[in-house]
Amino acid sequence: MTKQLKLTLVEGAGPASDSGLWNHPDYATNLFKDITYWEDLARTLERAGFDAIFFADTPAIRADTPQARAHALRSGGLPRLDPAYLIPILAAVTERLGFVITSSITYDHPVALARKFTTLDHLTGGRIGWNVVATNVRSAALNHGLTEQLPHDTRYDRGDEFLDVAYQLWNGAWDDDAVVRSPERGIYVDPGKVRAVEHEGEWFRVRGVPISEPSPQRTPVLFQAGSSDRGRQFAATHAEAIYLNANTVAETAFLVSDVRARAAALGRDPAALKFLPRIIPVVGATQAEAEAKLEDYVARSNPESAIVTLQQWAGIDLRGRDPEEELDLADLQVKGINSEHAADYLRRSARSGERFTVGDLIRMYAFTGGAGNVVAGTPGQIADTMERWVREADVDGFNIAYMLRRHSIAEFAEQVVPELRRRGLLAPEGAAAGPTLRERLTGAGPQVPEDHPAARSRTRREAPAG
Amino acid sequence: MTDRILLNAVTVNGPTVSPGLWAHPEERAHEYTSLSYWRDLARTLEAARFDAIFFADMLGAYDVYQGSPAPALRQAVQVPLNDPTLLIPAMAAVTEHLGFAVTVSTTYDQPFPVARRLSTLDLLAGGRVGWNVVTSNLPSAARLYGLDRELDADERYDRGDDFMAVAYKLWESSWEDDAVALDQEGNVYAIPDKVHDIDHEGPFFSVPGPHLLDPTPQRTPVLFQAGSSERGRQFAATHAEAVFLNTPTAAATKYIIDDIRERAERLGRDPASVRFFPKLTPIAAATDEEALERYRDFLSYSSTEGIFTLLGAWTGLDFDEAGPERLLAFTEKAQTRGLVEALRRGDADRQWSVDELASLFAFGTSQLSVGGPAAIADAMEQFVQETGADGFNVASIIQPGTIEAFAEHVVPELRRRGRVQAEYAPGTLREKLGEEGPELRADHPGRAIAAGTGAVPA
Repeated sequence: MTKQLKLTLVEGAGPASDSGLWNHPDYATNLFKDITYWEDLARTLERAGFDAIFFADTPAIRADTPQARAHALRSGGLPRLDPAYLIPILAAVTERLGFVITSSITYDHPVALARKFTTLDHLTGGRIGWNVVATNVRSAALNHGLTEQLPHDTRYDRGDEFLDVAYQLWNGAWDDDAVVRSPERGIYVDPGKVRAVEHEGEWFRVRGVPISEPSPQRTPVLFQAGSSDRGRQFAATHAEAIYLNANTVAETAFLVSDVRARAAALGRDPAALKFLPRIIPVVGATQAEAEAKLEDYVARSNPESAIVTLQQWAGIDLRGRDPEEELDLADLQVKGINSEHAADYLRRSARSGERFTVGDLIRMYAFTGGAGNVVAGTPGQIADTMERWVREADVDGFNIAYMLRRHSIAEFAEQVVPELRRRGLLAPEGAAAGPTLRERLTGAGPQVPEDHPAARSRTRREAPAG
Repeated sequence: MTDRILLNAVTVNGPTVSPGLWAHPEERAHEYTSLSYWRDLARTLEAARFDAIFFADMLGAYDVYQGSPAPALRQAVQVPLNDPTLLIPAMAAVTEHLGFAVTVSTTYDQPFPVARRLSTLDLLAGGRVGWNVVTSNLPSAARLYGLDRELDADERYDRGDDFMAVAYKLWESSWEDDAVALDQEGNVYAIPDKVHDIDHEGPFFSVPGPHLLDPTPQRTPVLFQAGSSERGRQFAATHAEAVFLNTPTAAATKYIIDDIRERAERLGRDPASVRFFPKLTPIAAATDEEALERYRDFLSYSSTEGIFTLLGAWTGLDFDEAGPERLLAFTEKAQTRGLVEALRRGDADRQWSVDELASLFAFGTSQLSVGGPAAIADAMEQFVQETGADGFNVASIIQPGTIEAFAEHVVPELRRRGRVQAEYAPGTLREKLGEEGPELRADHPGRAIAAGTGAVPA
C-alpha cells in the first residue's frame, strides 16, 4: 500500500525566507505584513492537502558578529513577527490545516509557554504543534536576561526539565471531566478534579494550579529539529515529528534509523515518529526549464549568506578565501558553540573521503539548509525523488521550503500536488481527516500515546489528590 | 476635556464576566475558546462604535478566600483563563476601527519578547493596539513562576519602570523611520546604520537589542494602566496615556483622577492627555421597569462565593475568617491597597459587615447603572461631570448580552445627545482617542527615556 505523505510548509514571519531570494522580482517581499497574504496562503495549503504550516523562528537577530549583523539586516533577516499571532488569523479561515510554531525552551518560562499553547490549541480546535528548539544564538541569550549563552548540552538538559514541567501542566493537573458547568450543582469546575503541580527541579520551581483548562490535544504535537548527537537523543525522547535538514538520502537514512533506534531503546514505538526532511522544489515543465530556473536562483543568491550560514552553523570562516582552496574538514569541531548538525555532516563526509573546496561549500549553502535540499525537475521527477526518499531513507513526508514567496507555493500546489494525488501519495482534495493535528499526523488519538514521556504525568493525574 | 464620552468594553479570556452569572441561560462566555465567538463580539462592538475592547488578565488562580483555589474554580472566577493576546489578531481581521487593549504583566516576563509581541499585534491590527501595563501581585502567580511569594509593591514598580525603559528604547529609538529601504535591485532590505542597538543597562534588565520589528503604525502601543495605590498612581502618571479605574464611588474616582493628573503635570505632561476610564456595569433595557426586572433576574444568579473570591484577592483578606458578628475592619496589607484606600476615603471609621460588602459588590466593584436609555445616559453624563472621567470601561454581567442591550438602548440615546461618536475618526487607536499623531506625544516621558535623556522618576 502506498504510504501517504505528510506535508508541511516552512515559512518565516518576516520579509526573507530561507532561500534568501527576497530580492527576486517574483518574490512577494513585503506581503508578510498583510493579513490577507496569510489568509490566502492558509487556504491554498489546505486545498493542496498540506498537513500544517510551520513557522521557523529565532527570538533575536541571528548575528553574533558585526558583519553578520549587517548582513542579516541587509538581507531581510529582520523584521520578524512573533509567529504565534499569525495562528488565530490562519485558523479562522481553515478547518483542517495544522500550525506548528517554534518556541524556545531556553528563554521562555514553561508556565507562560504552556498557557500560550493551550490557548492556541483551544482556538484552533486542536490543530497546534510546537517545534521545540534550544536556541543557539548568543544575541538571543543576551536579550533575554542571560549574561551568556548556555553550553549546547546544558541547553538540552534544561530542555528536558522544561518539557517535564510543561507535560505536568498540560496533563497532570486538570482531569478530563473537571469542567462540569452545572447550574444544578452550582459549580463550573469541580475542584476535586484539579490539582496543583508541585515541581522542584534544578532549573525550575513551579507550584500551583495552571489556570487554563485542558485543550483538545492537551500537549501540542511535538516537533523537533536538532540533529546533533544530543539533539537526536532529545528528539528520540520527546519528538513526535522530526524535521531534518540533511544533505543526502544516505545522511537522512542514517539520521532516521538512528533516532528510531534511540526511540525504540526508550520504549517508544519507532514507527510512530514522523520524519520530514526539508526540500526546496523547483518545478519546470521540462527538466531543462527547472534547471534554468535554479540557475537563475543561484545566480541571484548572495554568497555572503552562505558565508554567514557556515560561520554560524559550522564555525567555518570563509571570508576572503580563494574559491579553489581545498578544505580539511575531518577534524571540524564546534561543540559548545552552535548547532552542530552541519559540522557533523561535513566532518562525516570528509572522513569518508569527500573533498570540499571553498567554492563547493559556498554553492552548497547558497540556500540555507544546503544544496541537498534542492529538488529541481518536472512534477513527475519531483514526485519520483520524494518517493525515493521515502523508500531509501524511511521518511514519512516532507517539509517544503520555497524559493519565492507565494510564487513557488502556487507552482507546487498547481503542478506537483496533482501528480502526488495521482500516485496516491496525497489524499484527494476535501478528504476527511482527523479533527486534531495529532490525529492527522499519527493516525492515533488526539493526545500523546501511552509510550510518550508526557503520558507519565497523566498517571500522576490518577493518583489521589495530595 | 472633550464632550465625547469614550467607550471601552472590558472582558477576560475566560467563561465568567460576573461572579455566578455563568449559570445564566443567556450567558455565552463559556464559548471563550471559540474564535467565532470573539469575532462576533468584535463586530458587535464596532457596530456600536466602541473605541476599544480591553482584556484584563491574571497569571494565577485567586486563592485568598478559604485559603484555597477551590472557590475560584467552583465559580470560574478568573480561572480557567486563557492568554488574551492571542484573540486580537483574529478580532482585528474582521474589524477596521475597533481598538484592542490587553493586559501584559511586567513582573515575570522579559521586556524584549514582550516588546516584540506588542509590536506584532500593532502591525497586524494596523495600529489599533493598547497595552495595559500591570505589575503582578498574586501570590499564586509568584509560586507558579518560581518565587516563594509575590514581590513587594516597590520592587514590582521599580522593575516595571525599568521594563518600560527597555520597551521605549526598543520601540522609539531602535529603528529609524526610513531604516527599511526595501531595495530589491540594490540588495538592501534594511540599512544597517539606521537600525540601532539600544544597549540598555538598568537595575533589572540588560538588553542590547536591536528590536525585532521595524516601526509599527504607533511604534509604542497606547499605554494603559490600572493601579490605584499610591505607587501605582505615580507609575500611571509617568507612563499611562489612559487609566482604567475600578473605584466604588464617584468621590473615590475623582480623587484618583485629580491626583494622577496633578502628578502627570508635575512631570511636564499635559494632564488632559491622560484619559480616565472608570468601570461601569450597565443593565439596560427599553424602560426602567424592564431594566429593574433584568437586575433582579441577574441578582438571583450572583454568587456570594464568587464575590468573596474576588474581594479576597483584591484586599488580601479572607472573608471566611470574619468574626461572629461578620464585621470587618480593613487592615493594612502589603498587597492591593487600592480598594482598601478607596473604601477608607469614603468613611475611614466605617465597619463593614460581610453581607454589606457582598451586596455592594454583587457584580464586582464597578458602578452599577440600571435603567432605560435616559436613566443610564443621565447617570453616565453626571458621573463624567462629577469626576472628570473621559469615558467608561463598560463591564458585562453576561456576555455578549450586556453589551448588546447597552448598544441597543443606551448608545442611540448617547448619540442623540451628541456624547458618543457616530463614526470613527481615521487613523490609529491613539488618534481615534483624540491625539493628533499616531505616536507618543512629545511631552510623554517615554520619548526622553528612549532618547537616553530622561530618567524614569522614582
